[in-house]
Amino acid sequence: MQVQNPMTESVTPNQCPLCAQPVPGGNRLVGEVLSCDGCSAELEVVGVNPLRLEEAPEVEEDWGE
Amino acid sequence: MRKVDLVYTRVRTEEKLLLEALRRRDCAVNLVQDSGMVLSMDRQRVTEADTVLMRSMSFTRARYLATFLEMKGLRVLNSARTISLCGDKALTSAALAAKGVPMPWAFVAFDEDACLDAIDAKGYPVVTKPVLGSWGRMVARLDSRTAAEGVLSTRFGTGGAQDHVALVQEYVDKPGYDLRVYVIGRTVGGLRRRSEHWITNTARGAVPERYEVPVVHARLAEAAADAVGGDMVAVDLLETRGGDIYVNEINHCVEFARSIDETGVPLPDLIAEYVASGAGGARR
Repeated sequence: MQVQNPMTESVTPNQCPLCAQPVPGGNRLVGEVLSCDGCSAELEVVGVNPLRLEEAPEVEEDWGE
Repeated sequence: MRKVDLVYTRVRTEEKLLLEALRRRDCAVNLVQDSGMVLSMDRQRVTEADTVLMRSMSFTRARYLATFLEMKGLRVLNSARTISLCGDKALTSAALAAKGVPMPWAFVAFDEDACLDAIDAKGYPVVTKPVLGSWGRMVARLDSRTAAEGVLSTRFGTGGAQDHVALVQEYVDKPGYDLRVYVIGRTVGGLRRRSEHWITNTARGAVPERYEVPVVHARLAEAAADAVGGDMVAVDLLETRGGDIYVNEINHCVEFARSIDETGVPLPDLIAEYVASGAGGARR
């Protein structure tokens, strides 16, 4: 299968969409889940180069075990 | 060097740890996000990898992707059959029953009145849960006919045909915890999940504790894993206050981020070792 999300060599930092705390870039993956150091929100990387972050969705209908 | 495609929905702590553990074993790992995958219905090769570690959080995506990847000749862990059985709690019960694995009594019903009559005959309390669903969502304990009427009228009055299935299960009066046994080819460890609430998912606040798995629990968990053909599964056990032990559910995409510190079971390494070993999968 094609590699969909190679690790990025470098990405610029972005801000938490909830509290504006800067989030370090570097070696991020689309789909990666991060915890904001400022407000502890769960964030999801939705784009790299430039780094784009969104609040991670809580659940979807058939997620999880 | 084994080539592994790790299929994911989101790169959580689990997936990061698995990626590191696989790379420590000299596996060449491609990360593939499930939402971007397009699979044609033919046997055309789609990857250089020989093994797919299915970590999709979505039951729907995991089931279809595993089915098509196996059709294309790949070793998928867990297999499409295991995912299909474990992701549907009614089918899990059927697979366990077919092998005589001890479990709480259970039935499925497809009509509100028929279901109420069957519960009345068994007596209250009982548990009802959606056949598809996870993290303890929409699981309800029915203590009375009145409660059952309310829950079942919602179950049968909303949603689509797939939702109009009531899985009803014996309510097991647990001693404040349930047990989870990890089977990665064989039993490798477990945890106790303690909660004041009768629902004991760690996703719902239960506290994980260390638990040395006795042989009798290990054999039961392995029998459950065999019943669904699971290579790497988490088997949930319910213990009654009288000491009986039942298999409750089986999880095909093992989550461990909330419990790995307490259990001390090195699950990422054990899973990676199993993947790298070449055991199991669709080519069995």
